[in-house]
Amino acid sequence: MAQANPSASRLAQLAKLTCTLFHNVYNPTHARTGNKVLRRRLIGPTLASYYPQTTLKFRQVQAAFPDLGLVDLDEKERLDEISRRKRRGKGAPKKGKWIRFSGVVFLTGLFRSR
Amino acid sequence: MRSRVLRDMRNRASVANNELTRQAYRYITRNETLPARTRHQAQLALNAMSNETAAVHVKNRCLETGRARGVFRDFRLCRFQFRLKALNGELPGVKKASW
Repeated sequence: MAQANPSASRLAQLAKLTCTLFHNVYNPTHARTGNKVLRRRLIGPTLASYYPQTTLKFRQVQAAFPDLGLVDLDEKERLDEISRRKRRGKGAPKKGKWIRFSGVVFLTGLFRSR
Repeated sequence: MRSRVLRDMRNRASVANNELTRQAYRYITRNETLPARTRHQAQLALNAMSNETAAVHVKNRCLETGRARGVFRDFRLCRFQFRLKALNGELPGVKKASW
């Protein structure tokens, strides 16, 4: 004797039970619950660790041990170069609102008003 | 370049700090079982958040030069720095192809 097919409500019960067994969400109407947003892993820590963490800098060592008399050779070279250029008259101009250009003095405000 | 790198660092930090808030708002917005008013409010809150907190705002930059284009993701170097370092033998496992 042929057995009758199970009813729709019975099949729904089965689906629900399956979901509880396998830890799935029972969602027969396929409603959009936004769970896919929560399913994504957090990427913040990965993004934040892109650049290597700041290592110990020479200036920090210099400040920590002033007795050692450590000299930053690159910085010393830079300052020496500036003083050399100043002695030759090739240094950077002084700050101020006056512009000195080949012996003639202008007020910068005049340029802006034109 | 340095300022761009610093800006990118700031962006990354703010993305990491605000990620959970953003995800919560996004969940409420996408959830159709919640009342429309709540979802709309969540969307407005999401829109009000700073652009800095969006992950798409982050840009991979070269660790050596800060260049934003032509950066290899695996080495975090731009193509020229990659070449220099590879030829110099500073990248383990990288070898110039020749056949």
